[in-house]
Amino acid sequence: MSHSSSATHAQQAEIFCRDESRVDWHSKALWLMREKRDRAAGSIPEWEQLRQLGSEIKLHTLTNLADLLQQFEANCQANGIQVHWARDGKEHNQIVHEILARHQVKKLVKSKSMLTEECHMNPYLEERGIEVIDTDLGERIIQLAGQPPSHIVVPAIHMKKEEVGDLFHEKIGTEAGASDPTYLTRAARQHLREQFLSADAAMTGVNMAVADKGAVVVCTNEGNADMGVNLPAVQLHSMGIDKIVPNLDSAAVLLRMLARNATGQPVTTYSSMYRGPKAGGEMHVIIVDNGRTAMLQDKILAESLKCIRCGGCLNTCPVYRRSGGHSYSYTIPGPIGIAVGGSKDDTNSIPWACTLCASCSGVCPTKVPLDKIIHHHRRLKAEAGQLPYGKANYMPLVGKLMGSQTAFNCSMSMARGALKILPGSLLKPFAGAWGKYRELPVAPKSSFEHWYKNNRSE
Amino acid sequence: MKIALFIPCLVNQLMPDVAVATLELLEKLGHEVIFPKGQTCCGQPMTNSGCYNEARNTTMKLLNSFKGVECDAIVCPAASCLVAAKENFHEFDDSPEAEAVIAKLYELTEFLHDVAPIPAFSKAFPHRISLQMSCHGVRMLGLASGSEFMGKPFNKVEAILAKIPGIEIRYPERKDECCGFGGTFAMDEGAVSAKMGKDKAWFHANTGAEYVVGYDPSCMMHLDGMIRRQQLPVQTRHVAQIINAAL
Repeated sequence: MSHSSSATHAQQAEIFCRDESRVDWHSKALWLMREKRDRAAGSIPEWEQLRQLGSEIKLHTLTNLADLLQQFEANCQANGIQVHWARDGKEHNQIVHEILARHQVKKLVKSKSMLTEECHMNPYLEERGIEVIDTDLGERIIQLAGQPPSHIVVPAIHMKKEEVGDLFHEKIGTEAGASDPTYLTRAARQHLREQFLSADAAMTGVNMAVADKGAVVVCTNEGNADMGVNLPAVQLHSMGIDKIVPNLDSAAVLLRMLARNATGQPVTTYSSMYRGPKAGGEMHVIIVDNGRTAMLQDKILAESLKCIRCGGCLNTCPVYRRSGGHSYSYTIPGPIGIAVGGSKDDTNSIPWACTLCASCSGVCPTKVPLDKIIHHHRRLKAEAGQLPYGKANYMPLVGKLMGSQTAFNCSMSMARGALKILPGSLLKPFAGAWGKYRELPVAPKSSFEHWYKNNRSE
Repeated sequence: MKIALFIPCLVNQLMPDVAVATLELLEKLGHEVIFPKGQTCCGQPMTNSGCYNEARNTTMKLLNSFKGVECDAIVCPAASCLVAAKENFHEFDDSPEAEAVIAKLYELTEFLHDVAPIPAFSKAFPHRISLQMSCHGVRMLGLASGSEFMGKPFNKVEAILAKIPGIEIRYPERKDECCGFGGTFAMDEGAVSAKMGKDKAWFHANTGAEYVVGYDPSCMMHLDGMIRRQQLPVQTRHVAQIINAAL
């Protein structure tokens, strides 16, 4: 898959764009979610105030992160929850494995967690003999297909129902050629029911960790987190340090926006709060840093930790919709993926998978300044000598040319001449990506400067 | 008012008609218009690529061309360049002289809406136009509320153009979705940029408009190239050209 490849975003996107009808289908499906979001957000008169409040709550939280995390830990412990701290993905996976091994867990059911994707937990546990079953329908689909998620809320959005039908036929024995969504969903439900009943432990991600209650909030539409957690004795919840909120009032503000901004629903079907182990059971919360503290050190990057993972920025992103989630080198695609994964991007290209249109920043429920963060990543890459697409070579030349008016005017007048004299077919190869997809500009007779000299200068 | 024109390099070299229209319309409105010498690129292609060192010289050269120029306002017919100039001037020069220049910077429609409104149009423009609401004008300059925004909507560009007799204003589907130009993005991410441009060109053409009208010349150049490649029956115009024709 794309994730193990070192191809640039532009290369991956170019492959995705070869099937234009598929691009149209993908773009439209996600734009539909944007439209639903607009209707849901627009139905709340105080929406913009809510965004401001959401932003301030998260800024307050990040400013007081250490205290709130400690408060959360103490309150969890008072509720009988065991709290673990993981510096990075590797430590997280080790902690999880240790807990599961202690209970001789053979099968773990898991509801959606982008954090465990970030930590690459599934392969780690599978290598150690533990079967991990993703129970969110979309996640189960991509797990059966052996693919990473292409979206943080609708992870299988890149697959058409016919493709899911073929996959289910092969993997869980549905009828050949069947692609009716209701039929396929029922089959998945039956298949997952067996997994739930035979699991030894359950794991979920965390949408919000409420500091003053020592409790975690988990949101799903399918009830799969609750079905998982309420059956086996051992339950685990993995969270990034950025998931903390001070109290339930804060959680309520974010919950009013989360589902509306994600899918246009007023609220997720299930928004559950877990605040202690079941009788005779164990509840573990694993708190993960994995680079987040480092991001906090940079004033601009820090704001990306305000994100509540609604996915609204992906749905509106014109580049994401036309390049697909698998074109990004980082686990999380789209604007927020660039923001939180830009520093980890060894293709040095995802910060440039963006036109800086800033629609993402306008959609964001906690006002993460995504376009500014993405722009900042470009600067960081440039300063680190990690520019893509030949920029390190041509940018100094452009800068020099533009800085010298005489040289610039000279070359532009030559370019105007060339545009007028030479036939388009001859110029196209020299115009690179421009001429490949678009007609070249029609050359004017002269520059404005020249016109001004002839018509207005005294 | 005495107005200094800020004509971005792209407009100067490839779209001089836009600059001429800007100058003429401001003169028709009774302003004294000057064109300070020595202008060049605002540095946006470099800073948007992260290359700040490479942008310094050209940005400073542009800024210096306005320092000490006697005028009430500096007006630019390109929203994206205007935003970049403001940001880059700040970035490289925090002197009072630089601040004085920055405080006078206006994008053309912003100037015509906020500072010196047009009293009346004397000619009709009996055509259907499709407005190209380019990103930086909307989301950075506040020429209009973005479609994402749920507060009270506003649109300064429409407010100006709607007063022209006979004009019929339409919007493309996905009203203010990016056209895909994005500066060097058009070259770096050719396939995605082209698909965005193609979609935008068709959405404009689907309104049945004769003209796609915008305030950002670089987006218009990209759309023009796409419209001609797709052979769509619509032409691109800058707002300055429409306003000038109606004065």
